Amino acid sequence: MNPQQPVAVESIDRLCALANLPLPAERRARLAPMLADLVAAANELSRKLARAEHRAIVPIVRFPER
Amino acid sequence: MARTELQNLTISEAAGLLERRALSPVELTEAVLQRIAVVDKKLNAYITTCGDQAREVAQAAEKMIRAGYHLGPLHGIPVALKDNIYTRGVRTTAGSKILGDFIPAEDATVTARLKRAGAVIVGKTNMHEFAWGGTTDNPHYGTCRNPWNPERFPAGSSGGSGAAVAARTCLGALGTDTGGSIRLPSSVNGIVGIRPTIGRVSNHNVVPLAWTMDTVSPMARTVEDCVLMFGVIAGHDPLDDHSAQVPVPNYVGELTRGVRGLRVGLIHDYSLAHVQRAVGDTVRAALKTIESLGVEVEEIAMPSIQGNISAQLTIESCEPSTYHQEWLRTRATDYGEDVRTLLELGEMYLATHYLQAQRYRSVLRKEFLDGFKRVDAFVTPTLPFTATPCGATTVVIENGQEEDMLSAIMQFTGVPSLAGLPALSVPVGFDAEGLPVGMQIIGRPFDEGTLFRLGHAYQGATDWHTRAPSV
Repeated sequence: MNPQQPVAVESIDRLCALANLPLPAERRARLAPMLADLVAAANELSRKLARAEHRAIVPIVRFPER
Repeated sequence: MARTELQNLTISEAAGLLERRALSPVELTEAVLQRIAVVDKKLNAYITTCGDQAREVAQAAEKMIRAGYHLGPLHGIPVALKDNIYTRGVRTTAGSKILGDFIPAEDATVTARLKRAGAVIVGKTNMHEFAWGGTTDNPHYGTCRNPWNPERFPAGSSGGSGAAVAARTCLGALGTDTGGSIRLPSSVNGIVGIRPTIGRVSNHNVVPLAWTMDTVSPMARTVEDCVLMFGVIAGHDPLDDHSAQVPVPNYVGELTRGVRGLRVGLIHDYSLAHVQRAVGDTVRAALKTIESLGVEVEEIAMPSIQGNISAQLTIESCEPSTYHQEWLRTRATDYGEDVRTLLELGEMYLATHYLQAQRYRSVLRKEFLDGFKRVDAFVTPTLPFTATPCGATTVVIENGQEEDMLSAIMQFTGVPSLAGLPALSVPVGFDAEGLPVGMQIIGRPFDEGTLFRLGHAYQGATDWHTRAPSV
């Protein structure tokens, strides 16, 4: 994968196939640059959460009553 | 008071008059319905108005009060509900074409509680489609506009509720808040809005956006009015699996406790960083006022605060896309373009992105809980900018740099949403163009009372909340 272009239109094609989401070509082309920005930020957050000090952290999907 | 001015009463003022039978619920409701008829053509804050039902309920309230049965401070008070909150027998569209004909057979728990308290529901308010966005530029029901300047946006997603309260077309309203959707419109419309602790108010029969972040709560002109509504809707609901079994305090009593000795935190390099100059100056002035009331302000570092926007975007993308998965495949063209695009993008994250974002929430929450050992609340602006022109997709915050609206709008309100904390937006002034500025106060879990105390004390020392738009 080209690091300058982490989400190419082909990546969107594959993700759509995996998700069984049929999208017209022009929509897939539009999504690629937007997803590239979102994924770059999400990957950055993932790197942060992978640090040793966070190893014991579990996801919070339900809040405690305190 | 002339009939045309009745809608200017706050809930608290009107409740006193209604209880003493110095004002009739029918008269008050008629004044509000008349105001809607005159003003809402310009604002488009309502998707559906309920004139006939409202008149019936008001007449019943009048009979009850005359007979000596006063149900409490909301009895006979005209209120509005965001259109993603179920109302039995009244269309509930969630601002969408997809639910355009949906007439619920049941009320939401919050609707039922308001009805039981005697509130008069005058209509269902405009919103960003399915609550997935912050502008209330609705492609199906029209653009909602800001009463302070109809060329500007009312923010969202509860933009209709915000505009309606500010324009006096209801005395209070309910909104929903996932990443800021009550606080953002409260800020730009110059009113008060509270996002509760997750679990404090039932989400039963409210169309979801993101299950792990959704909340329902009041928007009104004063903190006291928010308290009166909040006291009615808060509390455990066995119909909502996420509802907390935490006792609800007497919030009205909390308001009398004052604020001397409370401590408020500013988050280092975040609370007042990257905001429009007028917003920063106005919030600094509000902090001075709070200090003058005996509150100590100190700065606290929160190293994990950066990353909040990505986490919010990830969760707010993946969860709605899960809820909308079937409709996106069968009715894609029935969505507006912006929401359709966001739902498509939400299908393309990795599961690990979503779970790391949920892990980030734990880290952020822990930092806040540590911070609450030193302070009772944190303060930020609600939004880094004032109301932008309707239809804008970018905003300039500083240095002439255009930024994406969706990310910019999440700068401050996403943080308490992620951490599951309550947060109050209070109007604290205006910019040079006469557009309102809001301040966000973030509290401990289930400590909405301290936020109400701080907001109420601030409103007691200032008069921003008494100003009305000229629409």
